Amino acid sequence: MRESRFWALSMLAAVVMLVVLTAHMAVMHLSPLVGVSLETTRSFAAVLDRARSGVQTWGYYLLLAAALYHGLYGLRGVILELPVGRAGARAVTVILALVGLIAFGYGAYVVAETARLAASGI
Amino acid sequence: MEARRETVTFRVFRYIPGDGEKGFRSYTLEVPEGTTVLEALHIIKEQHDPTLAWRSSCRMGVCGSCGMLINGEPRLACQTQVLHLGSKVVELRPMANYPVTRDLVPDLSSLFSKHAAISPHILRPDQREVDSPTGEFIQSPAELESYLQFSYCIKCGLCLAACPTVATDPDFLGPQALAQAYRYSADTRDGGLDSRRGVLDRFHGVFQCHMAGACSAACPKGVDPAFAIQLLKREVVLRGLGKRRRRLARVSPLPSEHVPSEKIPAAPPRTA
Repeated sequence: MRESRFWALSMLAAVVMLVVLTAHMAVMHLSPLVGVSLETTRSFAAVLDRARSGVQTWGYYLLLAAALYHGLYGLRGVILELPVGRAGARAVTVILALVGLIAFGYGAYVVAETARLAASGI
Repeated sequence: MEARRETVTFRVFRYIPGDGEKGFRSYTLEVPEGTTVLEALHIIKEQHDPTLAWRSSCRMGVCGSCGMLINGEPRLACQTQVLHLGSKVVELRPMANYPVTRDLVPDLSSLFSKHAAISPHILRPDQREVDSPTGEFIQSPAELESYLQFSYCIKCGLCLAACPTVATDPDFLGPQALAQAYRYSADTRDGGLDSRRGVLDRFHGVFQCHMAGACSAACPKGVDPAFAIQLLKREVVLRGLGKRRRRLARVSPLPSEHVPSEKIPAAPPRTA
C-alpha cells in the first residue's frame, strides 16, 4: 500500500479518536464536571447498563480500532527511522500489523463479552 | 563616530582528510561592527592559518555556498554578523547531517541527488510543446503567488542540516527536495505530480516529515519548507484518491497571431 494511504488512514483515525475518546472521557472521567459522581458512572451496574446500548459497544470497537491503528502507525514511523533496510521495513510493518490485529481481537472480545453479559441480564 | 570593535575568539572545527585528527582550533581577532563570519574567516586565513578551508562565493546570501553551524545554529556565514551573535566565543562547525570533506566544507552530494530525484523542472504531457514551443504558457498572478515563495530556494542545504528526521533517517528526501517538489507540482505549467509520486509517496518520502519546523527556522531566504511539505502531503493524498486534477496552463498564441483590440490605439511609428 502506498504511504499516502497509511498516512490518510492515520489522520482519519485521529479524527475518529477525537470524537469517540471525547465521549469516553466525558462519561468515564469528566462526569463530576456536570454533577455526576464517578462512583455512579463507574459502578458495575452502570457499566452493564451502558453496555446494553449498541452505541457504546460500537463506539468502543471504533475507539479500539482507531487508537490501535494510530498508535502503531506512529510506532512504525519511529522504528523505521532506524536503518532497518527495505526487507526490515516490510517485516516491521507486518509484525506491527499482526500485533494490532491480535490486540484488536483481544479488546473486541472484552467489549463483546461485556455486551453479552449485559444482554443476559446479570 | 568610530565603529565598535570587540575581541572575539573563533573556535573553528578542523579536519584534514588523511591526517586523521579532528578537533577545534582557536583564533582570536579584533573585529569591528559589521564584520561577517565569512569576513572573519578570510582574516583568519590571511593572517593566522592559510590551511583553513571553507566554501563560499558571492558574499551576499545568493549563492548559498557558505552554510555552516555558527554557535550551533545552521546559518550562512556571509549573512551573519559576528557582533550580532552577542558572544565572545564563536564556534564554527561544518553543517550537520553531511559528511565532512575538510574543515568547514561539507559534502553536499546527498542534497543534490535528492533534489535531482524529484525532477525539479517543468514536466508536461505535451512534450512536443516543451521541445518546440508554439507560444507562452498563460499563468495568472494568483497562480504565480501559489508557488513563488518556494522558488526562492538557493540550495544552501541549511534546512537539511537543521532537520532532525534527516539526522536519524539519512534516506529521507528532506525539506529542500520536498519543498521543490511542491514548488513544481503547484506550478500550473507543470503536470508532473503523478510521475513524482513514485519518489514522494514511499516511506522515506513526504510522509516521513514529523513537522518539527526546524527547516523553516533555518532557511535564510524565508522559503518555509515545512509549510510546502504539508501542502505537498495534501496534494499527494488527494491525487492518490483520484481527486484534484488541475487543468494545465494553456499556451498563448504567438504575438504575430494576436489581433489587438480596436480600442487600443496603434503604436507610434518607430523613430530609430
